[in-house]
Amino acid sequence: MIRRRFLQIAGAPLMGAAAGKTMLVVAADAGWLECAGGTIAKMTGEGAHAILVRVGNDEKESWGLTPEETALRNRKESEAAARLLGIQEVISFGYRSSELRDVPHTTIRDRLIFLIRHHRPAILMFPNPHAEHDRNLDRYYVGAAAEDAWHCARFQNFLPAPSHGGLAPHIVSEAYYYSSPVDPRRREPESSSTFVPQPIRVDIAELFARKLRAAQALRTVNRGTAMRLKQSLEAAGRRLPLLDTVNDRAVDKLVEENLRGLAAMCAAGSPYKLAEEFRYAGIEYGLPTKYLR
Amino acid sequence: MRLCLLLGIVSGILIGQGQNRFPLGEIPPGKILLVAQPHHDDHTTDYGMGGVIARFVEHGYKAYYIRASNDEKDGANGYPRNDIINLKETWNGIRILGMEDVISLNWRNDFMNPIPLNELREQLIFLIRKYRPDVVLGHNPWEHYQKNPDHRNVARALVEAYWLAGYDTVHPEHFKLGMKPHAAGHFYGKGRLDWGLGQISNVALELNDSQVRKKERAIAAHRNVYHNPGARRAMQARLAAMGMHVPELDAANDDDASDLILHWWMNWISRDIGGKAGVAYAEDLYYMDPQYHLPGLKAYIDANARKAPSE
Ligand SMILES: [Zn+2]
Repeated sequence: MIRRRFLQIAGAPLMGAAAGKTMLVVAADAGWLECAGGTIAKMTGEGAHAILVRVGNDEKESWGLTPEETALRNRKESEAAARLLGIQEVISFGYRSSELRDVPHTTIRDRLIFLIRHHRPAILMFPNPHAEHDRNLDRYYVGAAAEDAWHCARFQNFLPAPSHGGLAPHIVSEAYYYSSPVDPRRREPESSSTFVPQPIRVDIAELFARKLRAAQALRTVNRGTAMRLKQSLEAAGRRLPLLDTVNDRAVDKLVEENLRGLAAMCAAGSPYKLAEEFRYAGIEYGLPTKYLR
Repeated sequence: MRLCLLLGIVSGILIGQGQNRFPLGEIPPGKILLVAQPHHDDHTTDYGMGGVIARFVEHGYKAYYIRASNDEKDGANGYPRNDIINLKETWNGIRILGMEDVISLNWRNDFMNPIPLNELREQLIFLIRKYRPDVVLGHNPWEHYQKNPDHRNVARALVEAYWLAGYDTVHPEHFKLGMKPHAAGHFYGKGRLDWGLGQISNVALELNDSQVRKKERAIAAHRNVYHNPGARRAMQARLAAMGMHVPELDAANDDDASDLILHWWMNWISRDIGGKAGVAYAEDLYYMDPQYHLPGLKAYIDANARKAPSE
């Protein structure tokens, strides 16, 4: 494989300031927060109006609870976490998590086009459907639908019925593709910054405490993660002393270690200590740099 | 699937040169290996994992093979006979590798794009809960330019089944049969290095002579697709067109020629990957360990996990 030189774009100068903008955050599952929570908090802190769209209902992510109870708790806890990040509204589509392969791509896409046209965001965040080696394929299905919606919301011939109700086409000028940093090739530059989102890092050091509080509010998901981790370590004859007793304090500590580890991974090779990383499509995405000069 | 063997052997010498070296992996502790692939011959094939399966078995694992399709398109005998012959030859192949059983799911061969993938996934979840593997081995769902819908979809269903089988919120009806959730610890995915950007492997598993021999014999067991009348003459003609001649083929009949070429091919690919890992023979894979999905906790777990006290 040809190893191209790692192109690192410092985040801040390229990204538009968020004050006064509307942003729509599309989520497949509760994983949106650990990928993008710090950046969302930064933008809402600058004055952005943020809306979270939960496509999946997170009904599987718990320990010892029924899917129905799990979905209800995760909805409430996602709303609480969103509030802590300054998100003003949470819209839950309620599709069954890990069953999204059964939902037509165009169904999810068209519901997202509806919301893009209604809320008219300047910023769209969604799971990166081009990221590899994330075993949670809901992120791929939702990311692909959101990317398609971003593109199609601008064309008048999509959603003809609501168009008659006043939903005009809308162009979202900035897109952030987020993903869990499991893809070994996630930072490799693509051929061109025109029509290809480029890797960026966002410094979240000042927002880390807020992101952590929000992540800790996802109590049902976090307890499931802690119990499954304990189980998988035990299967390999290992134990984490922290998880000898899985109580709220231990789970909160595990969440903190996870977020610190992720933020350090995302910051590696950048001037930042704690970061989040994205593929970003801003003005250069549609307008080649040579014309900007 | 059927290979373009000759072109592969000739051009394969050039493919992959300059690849990064692979780190060598070890066989993880465990007892059960579950291999799920779409087709009769995918336990081995050119890019395959027959050597790795043989190594797991020699290490003490019991190994099971899930054939997701019915292989009706592979061969020249019509759909039903191809299905029957290919299943029989799957048995012949997996026995050579030392595997225990073939579970045939019989989805229609090469028609797996429009199938309800969650139904296939449910079958795989059920089998993971039944066999309780320590290691799941299949195709890498992120392989680039994979044109075969069966490979794409079995890979996608398997990578989700591998973790969802551990969730008690997923298909709780299975528990009526006395099954319990089971999270398989280790996932290995296979892909080809020579398609598009190819498979980016993160580990190579070394093979010994015996494992490479088993791999060579396992693929040759699939006579229905790999033994063709006129194989020797066709191959010699193509070699001659490139100004080449392989003396070993002169005295061979068609069956022997097909076998020879399969053996050379399996031996070459094992040596080629071995060379990239600094050993004589190897196969390369994409490996996900039990905590792969929690990259943020890797450093913390490495620093703080202790050996559990034995009971
Ligand atoms: Zn195949």
